[in-house]
Amino acid sequence: MTLKLENVEVTIQAAPILRGVNLEVAAGERMGLVGRNGAGKTTVMRTITGLATLAGGKVFWEGEDISVMEPRDRARLGFGYMPEDRRLIPDLTVEENMLLPAWVNNSIDGPKGLSFVYDLMPELTQMSTRKALLLSGGQQKMVALGRALIAGSRLLLLDEPFEGVAPALAKRISDVITSLKGDGLSVLIAQSELSHSADLLQRESVIERGEIIKVNVIDTSLQEQQV
Amino acid sequence: MMRFSVFTYAAIGFVALAAGAIVLPDWAMFLFAMALAKGLVCLGIVGMMRGGVVSFGQGLYYCLGAYTATLAANFLGVSDIFLLTLLSAAVCLLVGLIFGPLLSSYRGIFFAMLSLALSMVLYGSLSKMSFIGGTDGLNIGAPTFLGWAPEGRPLQTALYLYVVTIVVISGALMRVYFDSEQGLITQATRDNELRVEYLGASVRTVMAYNYAFGALLGGIGGTIAVLALGHVDPEFAFWTTSGEFVFVAILAGYLSVPAVFFAAIILELVRSFSSLYFPNTWQLSLGIFLLIVIVTLPSGLGSLVSRRKGQNT
Repeated sequence: MTLKLENVEVTIQAAPILRGVNLEVAAGERMGLVGRNGAGKTTVMRTITGLATLAGGKVFWEGEDISVMEPRDRARLGFGYMPEDRRLIPDLTVEENMLLPAWVNNSIDGPKGLSFVYDLMPELTQMSTRKALLLSGGQQKMVALGRALIAGSRLLLLDEPFEGVAPALAKRISDVITSLKGDGLSVLIAQSELSHSADLLQRESVIERGEIIKVNVIDTSLQEQQV
Repeated sequence: MMRFSVFTYAAIGFVALAAGAIVLPDWAMFLFAMALAKGLVCLGIVGMMRGGVVSFGQGLYYCLGAYTATLAANFLGVSDIFLLTLLSAAVCLLVGLIFGPLLSSYRGIFFAMLSLALSMVLYGSLSKMSFIGGTDGLNIGAPTFLGWAPEGRPLQTALYLYVVTIVVISGALMRVYFDSEQGLITQATRDNELRVEYLGASVRTVMAYNYAFGALLGGIGGTIAVLALGHVDPEFAFWTTSGEFVFVAILAGYLSVPAVFFAAIILELVRSFSSLYFPNTWQLSLGIFLLIVIVTLPSGLGSLVSRRKGQNT
């Protein structure tokens, strides 16, 4: 497995948020992380990026224990993270926002990444010089996805990518993610419900009260397994 | 295109300021030289402000630069203004690179207070060092310019033009830095450190670099100030001096480089005329002036330029 969470526990102000989470994502796999609000989806994402501190358990990337690795060093492994609230830099332009990962990581080819993103989402080309603060929520989602794609050459972590966007735009984002098939890129998508992503996932892990309660195999060639 | 326009503006700024050497009377030329020297220190603070921290101890580098130049002149016999500036800049950059990584872990009031503490340590130490003048400080002779030793008005003019040259070059380079990738990362850091971290940047490194740049500019500003004044004392590192730099930085805001020097000149003018006409209440005038600017332009004088740019585009 490329990414593996082993008995991960996270507490925030003494409250247990994740309780013995086990999760595995294979190379090139598109995995869903489904659960209600407050189930711990975002905390799982933050744990993988290194933004949440582990109270127990371990996180492995390609067999290497990265549990204590700094977020910036994990980003350099090729992790692209699109947070739920987009978190763009308001005073920077669309293009600058997307190029930011390339500025801080020499292994990322900025112009090539940008060209890749513009090919996938041509609508971003027209707004490339516009400041992020002037964009609508849906447009910001697209930019955040573009930025995550430039940073995430190996693992893409998308937190509620379809939430709060118009159905047409949600479909567009879904199409973009689907088009990444076959690139060896692992994708983990956290969301409350599967309406927009049922077709693009191979497996989904269901999380409830900080625990993975089951893993459903959506791809019919695989079997359903209970955790 | 962008860099071409920065240097075009710099050239225009140089001509405008250099014209002061012809039209300004002696007292005004001295006042402008001092204001521009202090503006350099404030530019360093503005560089840090763009990353979301404010140093309340830039007096440390202002003083260190001034003392380095004075000691080099008095004990090593160096009189060349270029050498003195280089020496002070190098010493301050070195100290900034030592303290930068330490301070870069702190934010907000902790960063401000720690930087202030460092400058007050220097103030206290210098006050007790009687062999370099103690609280009386030291005098420094007139500098030479590559072997040329002017006196009187030519000296003042040469010094003024030197300040203008340094200010224009530093201002242009800082503008280029602010618009560079590293500068934009600093701006992103101000917005939210976490998002910069998970994109792969080290916020501490960014902060440490900005602090070191601030130290460098502080040292150069201190050198120019001591050469203009001819005297340095520990007051250069006192908290009120650092407070004055913060005052100018707030007045200017972090959006525009020329605004920093403009604010420094305004402050010097307001202070000079206030102390002339209201000798007992000039601080009150200064306070009222700052209040008016904060209320009417919360992002500083630089926001006037930004607004105009925004209207044009």
